[in-house]
Amino acid sequence: MYLLDTLVFMGIFALLSMSLNVEYGYTGLGNFGKVAFFMAGAYAYAVTAALGWPVYLSLVMAALIAGALGAVVSLPALRLREDYLAIVTLSFGEILRIFVKAEQWLAGGVWGKTVPSAFAGLGLSPKTMAWANVLLVWAILAGVFLFLHLLMNTPYGRVLRGIREDDVAVQVLGKSLVSYKAQALMVGSAIAGVAGGLFAQYIRFIDPYMFLPLVTFLVWVMLILGGPANHWGALIGALIVEFFNRGSRIVKDYIALPFDPHNVQFVLFGLLIIFLLLYRPYGLFREKPMRTGAEVEVSKWQSSP
Amino acid sequence: MAILAVENICKSFGGLQVLKGVTLEAEEGQITGLVGPNGSGKTTLLSTIFGLTKPDEGSVKFRGQTITGLPPHRVYEAGLAFSFQLPRLITQLTVLDNMILAARDQVGAGFSGALFLRRRWRRQETELAQKAMSILELLGLVHLALHPAGELSGGQRKLLEIGRALMSDPVMMLLDEPAAGVNPVLGRKIYQKLRTLRDQGLSFLIIEHKLEILLDFADRIYLMDFGQIVLSGAPKEVIENPVFYATYVGETKDAAFSS
Ligand SMILES: Nc1ncnc2c1ncn2[C@@H]1O[C@H](COP(=O)(O)OP(=O)(O)OP(=O)(O)O)[C@@H](O)[C@H]1O
Ligand SMILES: [Mg+2]
Repeated sequence: MYLLDTLVFMGIFALLSMSLNVEYGYTGLGNFGKVAFFMAGAYAYAVTAALGWPVYLSLVMAALIAGALGAVVSLPALRLREDYLAIVTLSFGEILRIFVKAEQWLAGGVWGKTVPSAFAGLGLSPKTMAWANVLLVWAILAGVFLFLHLLMNTPYGRVLRGIREDDVAVQVLGKSLVSYKAQALMVGSAIAGVAGGLFAQYIRFIDPYMFLPLVTFLVWVMLILGGPANHWGALIGALIVEFFNRGSRIVKDYIALPFDPHNVQFVLFGLLIIFLLLYRPYGLFREKPMRTGAEVEVSKWQSSP
Repeated sequence: MAILAVENICKSFGGLQVLKGVTLEAEEGQITGLVGPNGSGKTTLLSTIFGLTKPDEGSVKFRGQTITGLPPHRVYEAGLAFSFQLPRLITQLTVLDNMILAARDQVGAGFSGALFLRRRWRRQETELAQKAMSILELLGLVHLALHPAGELSGGQRKLLEIGRALMSDPVMMLLDEPAAGVNPVLGRKIYQKLRTLRDQGLSFLIIEHKLEILLDFADRIYLMDFGQIVLSGAPKEVIENPVFYATYVGETKDAAFSS
């Protein structure tokens, strides 16, 4: 059971890490409020599922609400200087949590909100239910993985990668920055929203204290470790970090140490990030060259005499 | 009528007045040259035309339409292309991707087009790749097409910067010293290509320090000094003018060409 539980969380975090990959890995946008969009998705799911909406509709709602918030946040921030986006997203994460905590009518405030399980009433054993959750999360993860893989190997993905490196040059080449950046934040936020919806569905009770900035921090560690602008990197980074995150909790429960291994772990993650940024900024997996069909044509050209 | 009309452009950076009421016109289907000493404001003028810096005063008209203060992508859409004096390539992307990035009207460059018009943009990618390769052939960059632009040498970067401008099929090109840092033979080859394009109807505004190139290729020259146009006319006339020697070359005509 513990293994299945870990698999579910790995899948959810992999979604978050891939969503940050769209924003930061491909487009170069530092979103430091990832948890806010995760939270928005979780609450959107919780509220609509409580109204009796089916799972898929609630998940769509989670994506839409989080995506719309992504657009809202992007609009003021993207017209200002680059670093304002970091400040705006960071504060947005805090504001949303405080707002949900304060507004009891909305979703229970500090008392939290219970969420109906997607698999309730089917008479499943706990074990089968856990498997069902694993399948649900990983099926969606596979879909998102494929979707992003396709999206980033298009002319659209090329523009995003261009913006990441030199947005003035891309503008001079005729591409409007604001719409691309806003779209990247919307897509990233919508995926984070789906992750939030899956999270709420799985743990069946959410409260504002689950959505601390620590979540954002973990997602960043995952992406930077795995390798920005590489979908496998984002996925495997999430698996590794979540593995250690889990492992340290087990160690804490079963072995008496003079320190708290779970907290020490975060210090180590922090050091790991500094080390990676200094010595291996591309992480475990490097970015792959783009594939749009144009490169095939060029190879033909080059090999013909 | 002039295709590009710049009127009374003023621009200051802090206390430094870089452009002091620049007025110039570029005719359709001509190569207009812009010369002047280092720091006289030529690059600033081009960036202002392209919307990269906002002018304090003055107006820019392109094909009769006012484009003053439009963001660069709108200026591009109006039919202009720009190549930077110091290349601004996407170093992590390949030479090919840099080229295709510049292309106009890409079906797959928008979010929904990328997702839903896959067949169409893939066909377009093939066509754009062929077009890119024929330009890269001229620039001698074919063998590097699939290498990251970050691996290019300084001169090759400059070539790719011009290649991108050519790739965008503009009505008019603003080029900031296209032959600087490029070997002389290739430099002339590039200008010959520009001249062919001019004969097909393209217009050019080109900053250039090399007098012999201006003499051979420009239809009209503007001389700029301290943020103002001080002289203009056919290349021969301008170069014969004593003012030209006083402000630009600082020597006699013969000395200028022997260096
Ligand atoms: N962004 C800026 N901020 C402050 N000063 C600037 C800026 N851009 C240009 N300048 C100043 O404006 C003046 C003109 O610069 P500009 O680049 O237009 O010269 P130029 O005529 O292109 O010279 P060169 O032939 O050397 O390229 C210089 O003195 C420069 O320092
Ligand atoms: Mg200059």
